[in-house]
Amino acid sequence: MASIKKQTPLFDWHKAHGANVVEFGDYLMPIWYASARAEHLAVVSQAGLFDTSHMATLRVFGKDAFELLQWCFTRNLNACVGKDNAPLTDGKCVYGAFLDEQGRAIDDCIVYKLMDGEFMIEVNASMGGPAAKHLTEQAKGKDVKIVDLTDQVGKIDIQGPASIKIMAKLLKNPEAVFDKLPYFSAKGHFDPESTLAAQVQLLDGTPILLSRSGYTGEVGFELFVGRAHTVKLWELIMAAGQEFGLTACGLAARDSLRTGAVLPLSHQDIGPWTFIHHPWPFALPFAPGGESFTKAFLGSAALEQASDAPWTLTFVGNDLRKVDAHEAKVFHDGKEIGIVLTCATDMAIGRHEGRIYSLTSPDKPEGLSIKGLCCGYIKVGTKLVPGTTVELRDGKRALPVVIETDVRPDRSARKALKTFF
Amino acid sequence: MFPAECKYTKNHEFLKPLGDGTAVVGITSYAQEALGDVVFVQLPEVGTSFATGDEFGTVESVKTVSECYLPTGGEVVEVNADLEAHPEFMNEDAYGKGWMVKIKLVGDLNSELLDAAAYEAHVASEAH
Repeated sequence: MASIKKQTPLFDWHKAHGANVVEFGDYLMPIWYASARAEHLAVVSQAGLFDTSHMATLRVFGKDAFELLQWCFTRNLNACVGKDNAPLTDGKCVYGAFLDEQGRAIDDCIVYKLMDGEFMIEVNASMGGPAAKHLTEQAKGKDVKIVDLTDQVGKIDIQGPASIKIMAKLLKNPEAVFDKLPYFSAKGHFDPESTLAAQVQLLDGTPILLSRSGYTGEVGFELFVGRAHTVKLWELIMAAGQEFGLTACGLAARDSLRTGAVLPLSHQDIGPWTFIHHPWPFALPFAPGGESFTKAFLGSAALEQASDAPWTLTFVGNDLRKVDAHEAKVFHDGKEIGIVLTCATDMAIGRHEGRIYSLTSPDKPEGLSIKGLCCGYIKVGTKLVPGTTVELRDGKRALPVVIETDVRPDRSARKALKTFF
Repeated sequence: MFPAECKYTKNHEFLKPLGDGTAVVGITSYAQEALGDVVFVQLPEVGTSFATGDEFGTVESVKTVSECYLPTGGEVVEVNADLEAHPEFMNEDAYGKGWMVKIKLVGDLNSELLDAAAYEAHVASEAH
């Protein structure tokens, strides 16, 4: 029997604006409107708007909420913010994962500390139920409640350098909102009953939670709003963004942008294998030197003992051609060494004498024509050093690609907000 | 919806006979819309001969890599070199500046090619 797919509150808007719709998880989502390429480029140079209401949101609260997350989450909440590894304080958020006892990834997520005993967790589409179940099992005997808010919250991401100017037009007190709002921090709340709700409001008083984060590598915000207000918020942003070239974006651009930003897609790049050798070491609480962890957590013993765990590595090709990630294998020195997890094309980058430049690179050579490069992740049995060339082969082509530590350079996500006015 | 002067395959290539023993081949407007942005096109060498149904090139979009099969037998007499710099022509104008190859027709025209109405019915049946 075919399952009934869910729709976000914006589904009718997407259809009315020419979206190509695909099934993604339990949802019907836009994959692109007129052009995935134009959408990708808009986020890098102007701004793009994404319906991310399919993502799942959990509320974790109570006296022992911190203790539960400190056990289940891969980041050390006492030492995870900024270069100095400061504790996670009110209004800060942090990226990490939930692992099982064998050290395999259940899902990745962002944990927000809203206030003492009050956390919000953003997990992936269709993961609200499983993540809530996992946390509830681990919470036995603890004073903590876990509530899946997914169907009560609408989520919209605005990403790209024009995001700040666009949101400034829509907020009651933009100077106060953008003041002291570093990467991975948040203000406000979507629940009018919350004491935080006064911090961030639309001009009509609708409260939102505004998080300076995203999944594109470019500066911007993830916005959480009461579900009934989702379409209104989307239309307000689209109208305010018109003068800045704001473009509605689908999942294809989201996928190519996040790959260029070296971010994983859960259940594709991370999943039921040991979460230890991958391009996201910051997701684990490594002590200086990277040999041990600063805390014990669910799965940590398995990670410390892992001896034959696979290596997930980042690659970038020499042109924009892709392979089919579902069937492609990785070859090195003529031997098959692994599989391809993701293969996408970052349309905003090109190579010149081996080095990768972005459309926005200030030192981009004059006349360099940027057409895009294929990029993604492979999972192989042995470590390969950056600069190593491997070959990706599907049934149709064999592509040489290079192991790299980064993909799209000069991303804007971490730049000071004041530089965008 | 689909140009009446063209013939079509179920794999969504079109063949536009020019009346002088040659024909232009490309992918249909329906195909380019389903593929999304075309980002790379691989074309054959001029002078290559293909039988009906032979793969003559590939079209890579943001979504996938698709093979293109020649609608009827022929020898390639010209390829659209503009597609190397402007693969987006296939999205913008599938039957015009997005053409792929020009062939000299060899042998009988493939009798299984569809006319515009039959192709439209085929597209409608695929969509459901």
